[in-house]
Amino acid sequence: MEGRSPWYLAYRRLRRNRVALAFGGLFVAIVVFVCAAPLWADHVAHTGPNATHTLEKVEVGDEKREVVNREGKPVGPLWFGGGGKFFLGADGRLGRDEMVRLMYGGRISLFIGFLATLIATLLATLLGLLAGYYRGWADAVISRTMDVIWAFPVTLLAIALGLSLATGGLRVGPLHLSGSSIWIPILIIAFVYTPYMARPIRGEVLSLREKEFVEAAVSQGAGPLRVMFGELLPNLLSTLIVFFTLGVANNMLLEATLSFLGVGVQPPNTSWGTMIGDGFELISSAPLLTVIPGTMILLTVLSINVFGDGLRDALDPKSKLRLEAHAGIAEPKGTAV
Amino acid sequence: MRKLPAALLVLGLAVVALSLSSCGGGSGGKEGGTLTGSYASFPDYLDPSVSYTAEGWTAMYDTYLPLLTYAHANGAAGSKVVPALAESLPKVTNGGKTYTLTLRKGLKYSDGTPVKASDFAGTVERVFKLNSPGSTYYSGIVGAEQFAKTKTGGIPGIKTDDKTGKITIELTQPRGTFTNELALLFVALLPADTPAKPLSANPPPATGPYEIVKSEPKRSWSYARNPQWAKNNGKLIPEVPGGHVDKIDIDVIRNGATQVNEIERDKTNWMQTIVPADLYSKVKDKYEGTQFRVEHQINTYYFWMNTTKAPFDDPKVRQAVNYAVDSAALERIYAGSLVASHQILPDGMPGHKTFDLYPHDMGKAKALFKEANPSDRDITVWTDNESPNDDAGAYYQDVLTKLGFNAKLKTINADSYATIIGNETTPDLDTGWFDWFVDYPHPNAFFQPQLAGESIAPTHNYNFARTDDPKLNAKIAKLSTEQIGPEQEAEYAAMDKEYMEQAPWVPYGSITNSTFVDSEIDLDKVIFNPTFGQDLTSFQFK
Repeated sequence: MEGRSPWYLAYRRLRRNRVALAFGGLFVAIVVFVCAAPLWADHVAHTGPNATHTLEKVEVGDEKREVVNREGKPVGPLWFGGGGKFFLGADGRLGRDEMVRLMYGGRISLFIGFLATLIATLLATLLGLLAGYYRGWADAVISRTMDVIWAFPVTLLAIALGLSLATGGLRVGPLHLSGSSIWIPILIIAFVYTPYMARPIRGEVLSLREKEFVEAAVSQGAGPLRVMFGELLPNLLSTLIVFFTLGVANNMLLEATLSFLGVGVQPPNTSWGTMIGDGFELISSAPLLTVIPGTMILLTVLSINVFGDGLRDALDPKSKLRLEAHAGIAEPKGTAV
Repeated sequence: MRKLPAALLVLGLAVVALSLSSCGGGSGGKEGGTLTGSYASFPDYLDPSVSYTAEGWTAMYDTYLPLLTYAHANGAAGSKVVPALAESLPKVTNGGKTYTLTLRKGLKYSDGTPVKASDFAGTVERVFKLNSPGSTYYSGIVGAEQFAKTKTGGIPGIKTDDKTGKITIELTQPRGTFTNELALLFVALLPADTPAKPLSANPPPATGPYEIVKSEPKRSWSYARNPQWAKNNGKLIPEVPGGHVDKIDIDVIRNGATQVNEIERDKTNWMQTIVPADLYSKVKDKYEGTQFRVEHQINTYYFWMNTTKAPFDDPKVRQAVNYAVDSAALERIYAGSLVASHQILPDGMPGHKTFDLYPHDMGKAKALFKEANPSDRDITVWTDNESPNDDAGAYYQDVLTKLGFNAKLKTINADSYATIIGNETTPDLDTGWFDWFVDYPHPNAFFQPQLAGESIAPTHNYNFARTDDPKLNAKIAKLSTEQIGPEQEAEYAAMDKEYMEQAPWVPYGSITNSTFVDSEIDLDKVIFNPTFGQDLTSFQFK
């Protein structure tokens, strides 16, 4: 029999999980949708995400409709009635194109979700490896610091940081970020989520470092860096991939929360969170302004979570068995896990 | 002889009409009953010495009377200062530094205690003892600054005589706005033994037509007719109406939509809060003229431009921006609650004379901009995050971008906005949004803090445009010492135009308030005073 690599086996397991694949496809569709923002803005809507059209009129068939009426109510979805303009209507009293903002906003939401998770994953991996491999004082310092951050509720800590940094910006040595920079929410989210990743990674490193392959590497003269990055890290990869996937969903939700509360993405930049916040004021007269970006967040987070679960089951089938055993679905068989 | 019966008939009708008007306060309508109202939040204080919010001032306008007050009238007529507890307006002597007033004789507090001239001194001292936000208006009284520090020994600049009721106030320097400041609630007279602590839960006795008889802070409060009003005070103070309803019950209802709903179902007679933005047009469309009315307030919303640094140090650039901003667009952004104007002094303010030097013309704006050809086009636009001011800032940024600037929007939390843009160390203070509401209707309250060169300060600066024109500075300084009259009003009007010729601001309008009552209340009778809001004495059941 031909030997199969663990990655190939994982791929085969994932391929068999149709639900996970369907949601993965949905996520790819969402990414394609937001990446097409400049195309839609330039060739269909003929407007940018921040261009205001308060006093303009849009032609719908033979009729000319005000983009924002005298009472400040924006035009609703025109679909293709306006020749692609205001496909989802206008965003509020400024008369900006909701569809264009939804596409550009999605880019920022996904960008923040991915980048914040990437930074958190890199930081957590580094800290987890150092704490787990060296143990002793290094572990004590890193773990206690993580505990301190962990002690604060994530959302509250992020709001507090967002409030102070959105006003004054961030200045660390030569690095200066203005309060309206999208790097501010990225760094805040990465900072508050790092302990949540670092702790389980440290636990796994503590377990891995006792394995025979590590002892073998050490006996062959491998130094700490080689052991950490050459031996331990490859064995952490499947865990990191799962953490990363699920982290993106969590971080997108936190970004939406912060932006809704006005301490995340700052105007004129927009994200789905800020769009919900902006639309909230008109929820009784124009509910779609809140419902549409809310639905986009829901679909994106759901697709990432379901695909992430599938990925975890594929990369670490034991964890599925553990979960099922815990839920009483199946008894673990064979050796203890 | 044959004409006598007709003359008698006319005389008789006149007597009947006169007596009806004197007891009913107007044509028709029911006297008595209980008015129910709602506030979105409990006033900061139910104590006139310390309250500094619109909610508190509306709640106490008809309860606590100062020596002077603002006329119980709508619009510009309501900006007029009239005598309240004093017999007449002050006699100003000694080059504007001495104010002499006389207390009306026979006045009593609602608990029966006689009102004395010395109560005025005690009231002003209480303002300082409580570190009231209103104390700044009275720190110009001789010895007041010292009293503010020590809180003992009295204020030597206030001399009173309880026998004659004479009150003399000495100022350290002339202050043309002092008459207006004597009409603020901070110096509404309270008995001498009133404790020097805020009394929201147990409000002090009243001098006005109503007294607060029950107060549950954060939840509700109630009024009844002041028993001394009918017996004494009402006859002595014809400038203040006696009111129609016998009792008033106010509840705090935090949700604006619920407040609207309660009125629509006739469960509450009146809401003090402005109708929420998302229901505004619906309520306006359905009830305007019968139960809803737009009320004009004295305020100016504007964009300022820093005249001390490029690119806004060039008047042509500032004028171009004035032509580019379209007030009509901003009216929509404010969902119909903004009345557009293009000048510093708002409608209703003494000295206001309507003009527009820069009617919207994007072509002209672009031509002026091209002519000025500013080398520095990277600018930061500041605004706060309160809706719809944030939208106004975004609109302004878009206009500046269309004009040719590379404009970056900076949105700051509303709580700290004024502090941040008022601090000279804040970088990139190029241009931005602001609004200005005044505590009393005097044009000096617009020019002095926001446009006079001497007001430019390193922190807490409100002269955001940093205007410092020696000629106009001197004019502001001169007018600030004079009592306002037709001549001064004309000078203020001219100054408004002179400043707008320099275009340090893009004023775009005044925000309105609203009165919304249920079907039982006669909306036509309700008075909205520009300083105090709805006048409780004017509410009457149909």
